[in-house]
Amino acid sequence: MNMKTLLLTVALLGALDVVVGGLSCSRRVPIEDQLTICFGFQDLETEFWVAGHKAITETLRAKGIRVLERNANQDANRQLEQIRDAIAQEVNGIIIIPQDGESAVTIVGEANRAGIPIAVFNRPPSDRSNPALVIVADNEKIADEAVAYMAKVAREKGEGRKWKPLIVVGDLGDRNAVARRKGFFNVMERNPDLFETPIEVPSKWDPATTLANLEAALQANPDVDFLFTSSDFLYPQIKAVLEPLGKWKKIDEPGHVILGGLDGDSTAYKLMKEGYVDATGVQDLFFEANTIMEALLAAIEAGEKMPEKWMDDPGFALTQENMAERADEMWGYRVLHDE
Amino acid sequence: MQSSDSVTSQTRLACLREVVIGRVLLSDSFVLFLSVAYFLVLWIFLPRLGSARNLSNLSSNIWPLLVLVIGQMFVLIVGGIDLSQTSVMAITSVCGALMMTSGLDPELFARNPLWGVLIGEQGGPAGGSAAAAPVGIAFMLAIGMLIGSANGLAVARLKMPPFMVTLVSMFFFSGLAIFITRSENVRNLPDAFLAIGQSYLGRVPTGRGSVGLVPYSFFAALALAVAAWFVLARTILGRWLYAVGMNRRAATVSGVPTDRVIVWAYAVSGFCAALGSVLYSSRLGAGRPTLGENVLLDVIGAAVIGGISLFGGKGKVRWAFYGVLFFVLLDSSLYMLNLKFYTVNIVKGVVILVAALLDVLRNRIRLGRAPTGRAVAA
Amino acid sequence: MSEPILQFEHVSKNFFGAMALHDITLTVRPGTVLGLVGENGAGKSTLMNILGGVIAADEGQIRLKGKLYSAGSPADATRADIAFIHQELNLFSHLSILDNLFIDRFPRIGRTPLIHRREAVRRAKEALAAVNLSISPRTQVDRLTPGQKQLVEIAKALHGGAQIIILDEPTTSLTSRETERLFALIERLRREGRTILYISHVLADVLRLADEIAVLRDGKVVRTGARDEFDIDTMIAAMVGRQIDQLHPIRRGKPGDKVLMSVAGVTEPGIVKDISFDLHEGEILGLFGLMGSGRTELGRILFGLDPFRSGTIDVCGQPRRRRTARRSIAGGMAFVTEDRREEGLLMEASVAENMALVALTNYRRNRVLGTVDQLALRRALDEMTASLKIKCVNPRTNAVKSLSGGNQQKTVIGKWLLRRPTVCILDEPTRGIDVGAKCEVYSIINDLADRGNGLLCISSELDELIGICDFLLVMSKGQICGRFRRDEFDEERILAAAFEGHVERGPRDSSGASN
Repeated sequence: MNMKTLLLTVALLGALDVVVGGLSCSRRVPIEDQLTICFGFQDLETEFWVAGHKAITETLRAKGIRVLERNANQDANRQLEQIRDAIAQEVNGIIIIPQDGESAVTIVGEANRAGIPIAVFNRPPSDRSNPALVIVADNEKIADEAVAYMAKVAREKGEGRKWKPLIVVGDLGDRNAVARRKGFFNVMERNPDLFETPIEVPSKWDPATTLANLEAALQANPDVDFLFTSSDFLYPQIKAVLEPLGKWKKIDEPGHVILGGLDGDSTAYKLMKEGYVDATGVQDLFFEANTIMEALLAAIEAGEKMPEKWMDDPGFALTQENMAERADEMWGYRVLHDE
Repeated sequence: MQSSDSVTSQTRLACLREVVIGRVLLSDSFVLFLSVAYFLVLWIFLPRLGSARNLSNLSSNIWPLLVLVIGQMFVLIVGGIDLSQTSVMAITSVCGALMMTSGLDPELFARNPLWGVLIGEQGGPAGGSAAAAPVGIAFMLAIGMLIGSANGLAVARLKMPPFMVTLVSMFFFSGLAIFITRSENVRNLPDAFLAIGQSYLGRVPTGRGSVGLVPYSFFAALALAVAAWFVLARTILGRWLYAVGMNRRAATVSGVPTDRVIVWAYAVSGFCAALGSVLYSSRLGAGRPTLGENVLLDVIGAAVIGGISLFGGKGKVRWAFYGVLFFVLLDSSLYMLNLKFYTVNIVKGVVILVAALLDVLRNRIRLGRAPTGRAVAA
Repeated sequence: MSEPILQFEHVSKNFFGAMALHDITLTVRPGTVLGLVGENGAGKSTLMNILGGVIAADEGQIRLKGKLYSAGSPADATRADIAFIHQELNLFSHLSILDNLFIDRFPRIGRTPLIHRREAVRRAKEALAAVNLSISPRTQVDRLTPGQKQLVEIAKALHGGAQIIILDEPTTSLTSRETERLFALIERLRREGRTILYISHVLADVLRLADEIAVLRDGKVVRTGARDEFDIDTMIAAMVGRQIDQLHPIRRGKPGDKVLMSVAGVTEPGIVKDISFDLHEGEILGLFGLMGSGRTELGRILFGLDPFRSGTIDVCGQPRRRRTARRSIAGGMAFVTEDRREEGLLMEASVAENMALVALTNYRRNRVLGTVDQLALRRALDEMTASLKIKCVNPRTNAVKSLSGGNQQKTVIGKWLLRRPTVCILDEPTRGIDVGAKCEVYSIINDLADRGNGLLCISSELDELIGICDFLLVMSKGQICGRFRRDEFDEERILAAAFEGHVERGPRDSSGASN
C-alpha cells in the first residue's frame, strides 16, 4: 500500500463525506442550555398516533426544546439501536412509544444505565423492573364504560331476547388491546341474560386482516347486532362489511347494530354525530401527552436519573347521552375543529 | 520538449488509472480503507462519533450482524442465496424461548396450539432448570441447521433455484413462528441467556456512568469467525465450496461431492441465522416471532459491500467483517445526522447498489486483465 | 459463363494464432449449387460465418456481384440477400410459423404499430407454398418436425428475397422423405436462378446436388472443379492427403494382455448403441468419429457422468452399474473433458488450486477436520508442474485463465495425473493448443501408456490419432463401425468408415416422425 493509494482512498471519500457532512452542517445549532429530547415512535399509521406525535413534538418545540425524532418502523431492534444512539448523543430525556411491552422494558433499562430519564407513552412496559415515567390510559375501565352504555341501550330496547355481540380484538401483544378486551368481557359477564357468547374477531391492528376476518365472521354469524371495536381506526373496515349486509343503520333506523369503539378520533366523532355509533371510549390524548411531557421535564429539571411514576389517564366514555356537554373533551373533536 | 512532457503526463495518467483500478478498486482491503477513512473524516463533523458510548454501541451492533453475514457468505460462495435467514431467526427465537421460558401468561398463551402439551403456566420443557439456557441454545442451533439442510437439499437434489427455495422457506417459517406463538412474545427467559446479549466484559467509565467494554456477543462472533476462516482456508470442504461456486460442472467432473457441499453451505447459513437469533433475542429479552424481519437487506448489503460476490466463488471472512463494519458505521452515522428514516433507507439502498455495481465492474476488469490475474481463495 | 455472383479473394482468418482459413480464393456462379466438403476443422463453417456476417475476415475480401462486400453482422448479410440456414435452427419454438417468418418485418396497418394480421397470414401462406409446405401458418413451431422447421427457415429466407442461400449440414435430422423434398426444393431454386452453398458430410448427396465442388483441408482450398470431376473416393482423398509429420513421438511401447477396462453392449437409446471393446494395459486406444457420431457422449457414459440403459462397463475388474464421477475416480479413472473452460477448469482459481482439485482427498491429514497436508501437496504440485513443463510465473497466485491454451490443457492433465489413474479418457486433448504444446501432450500420453496405464483418446483429428494410437475405433451414428490395428492404419479407409453411415443412400432408418 503506497502513498498514492492512501491519498486516493481518502480522496474518494471526499464525495461521500461532503454530501453527508453538508447535510449535518445544516443542523448545527447547539445552544448550550437548549434541551434535547429524543422522541422514538413506531410509524404513524393511525390518527391517534399522528395526533399524539404532533402534540408531543409541537409542544416540546414550542418550549424551545430540540426534538430528535426517530421512527423505528415497528422494528423493536431498530428502536433499541436508535435509543442507544440517542443516549450516546447525550440527550437530556427520552420519550418512547414502544413496539411492545418487552422491548419497552429493555429500552428503559438502557436509559436507566445511562442515567437519562425516560418516559413511555401510552404502551406500558410489561413489568416494573426498570423504573420509568409511564402514562397509560386505563383501557379496561374506559372500555367497560363504553360497553356498559351500549348494554344499557340494548336493555332499554326491551326486546326480551339475547343480543349477539361481536368484539374486534386488537393485537394481543399490545397490553392496551388486552385491557380493552377485558373491559368488554367484564360487561358481558355482568349481563349474562342479555348477551350470547361473544364472537371475537382478531384484527392484529391491521386493516386488511380486520376486513378479511370480519367478513368471515359475519358470514358465519349474520345475526350479529352488537359490535365493539377495540380501536376507532377500524371503522372504515366495519362499515365496508356491515353496509352491504344492510346493517349500517343509524340509531333510530330499524336494523341498527349497537356500535361502539375506543380511542376517540375524528372519525368516531363524525359517526357519533351522524348517529351510527352509540358510544366511544376516549383516551384523553392531549391530557396524556401533556402529563408525560410535564413529568419528564420536571424530572430533567430536578436532575433525576431514573424517575419512576406510573400515571393514569382515566379517560371517559362519550355516549349519545353526554355528547352535547362532553364532546369538546374528545381529542378527535378538537382535531377536527382545529383544522 | 513539448511532446515528452505530454508523454510523461500521459503515462502518469495511465499510471494513476492503473493504481486506482489495480490497487484501490481491486484491493482486498478496499472496504476497510473506506471504513476507516469515512470514520475519520466524519469524526471532524460529528465529534460524538468517537465517544466511548458510541463506539460501544457500534461494537454491539456489529457482532450479531457479522454472525449472519458469515452464514450468508457460505451460501454466496457456492453461488446461491439464502433469503430465509430472517425467518430462521424468528422460528428459532420462538422455539428456543418456548423451551427455556420459566413462566407464561395464560391470558396470552391459553389458546396456543402447544398449551398443555409442551408449555404451560410454568413455562416450557426446560424452563426453570439450571440447564435451561444451554438446552435452549442447543435447540435453536439444531433447528437452524435442520432448516438450512432442508434448503440445501432442495437446491442440490431437486435442482430448484436457491432464490425460490429460500423465499418459500422464508414465508413458511415466519408464518409458522407466528402460528406457534399466536404472535405473542415469549418472556421470562433465563438470566444466563439474557446475559449473552446484554452483558459486557469490563466497563469503561464515561461522563454519565459507564459503558460496556466487550459485549459477550463478541466472543460468539469471534469463535464463529475463526471456525469459518479455518474451514474456508484450511480444509478440503473449504476448497470444495469455492470450486462449486466457481464452476459447478467442473467441480462435479473433478469428483467433488457437489450435492453434499451445497447442503453444507446452506446448513451453515441456517446455523448462523440461529446463532444470530440467540444474540438478538437475548439482547431484546424475549423470543419474538417477528425477529429479524427487516434485517435481510442489511445482511446482503453488508456482504456485497464487503466484496463477497453475488456470482459465487468468492468470499473471505475478513471481507464479511469489513462489510459489516462499514455498513454499521454508515447506518449509525446516518441516524446520528438526524436524517429521516426514509432518507436513511434511500442512502443505504444507493450504497448497496453502488457496491453491487462495483462487484460487477471488478468482475469485468478481472476477466479482462489476463496477465496479472490473482487467485481468490484464501 | 455468366458473371460470378460471389468471389472470395485471398480470405484469411486466424483464431488466437491458429490459422483457420488461409488464402481462400473461390468463385461461385449464379444459379448453381456449390458443394463444400472437408473434415471437421477444415474451415467450412468459418468461411460461411464470414460470409454470413457472424465473424470478420482478417485478410482478403469478398465480392458480391462484383462489388465489395463486408458484413458486420448477420443483419447486414440478410440485407445483402444472403441467408444462412444454420445446422442448429434459429426459430423461436414457442411462437407460430407466422411470427417466426415475420419477426422482423410484420406487415403493418398503415403507419401504426399494429400488425395487419390478415395480410401477414396471406403472405405466410405464400411463403410456405413456395417451399411446398402445406401447414397452417398459425401452427406453433415446436410442433413441427425438424424437416418442417428447416423448410420454414428456408421459406423465411426466400420470402426475404435471398439470392444466396447457405445450407450447413441440412440433412442431419431429416427423414428420407423430408430429404427428398428438400432436394426437390433446391432443384427448383436453382432453376429460379438462386445460388446455393451446400455444406455436408453426406458425400453422396453432394455428388447428387452440386454443380461445382470445393474441398477444404486445414483452412485451404485444395481442389475445386465441376461435379463430374469427382467421385466419393477422390473427394476423400482430397480431404485427407497430407503428410504426417514428426509431430508424434515414436510409439515404442506395446500393449499388454491385461484388460483394464472392458465394455460390452453398452447402449443408451438415441445416443450410443451396442458398444463393445477392451482397453488393455499400456494401450493407447483411439476413438474417431465425425461430429454427432456419439464419441464424446460415449466418453461421458464410460466415466459415469451420463447414464446408460444396458450393457456393462468393467474397470480394473470391478463392474459397476450405478456410476458417478466420484466412484469412477475412486476406481482409478480420469476424464479430460472436451471443453476445458466449461468442465475442466475453475478459471478464476490459481493453477495450484486447479491441479489440486481431484487429488485433494489423497492429501488429507486429519479425517475429522479435513485439513490438508499443505507441504506434501505443494511438493507434489511443484513436481507435476515441472514435469509437465507448465509455464506460469507463480502457480499459487496466477489465475488459470491467464495461461495459454496449451498450459491450461496441461494443468487439466496434471490435475488428473496427480491422482495416478490407471484408465484415462481424454476427449480432444489437443484442441485449441499450439503445435509445441501438442507435442508435449503427445509425449505425456505416450509416457503414461509406457508406464502401464490404459488411455482412451477421443478425437476428431485423424492424423493425431494415427500418430499416437495402438488401436483405433471408428464411430458413426452412435455405433462402432470400424476397428483398425496400428499396422492397418489407412487414412482413407478410416475416413470412409467414419462416413459409412453417410455414404450409402440406400435403406435409411427413419429418425422418428414422418411428415
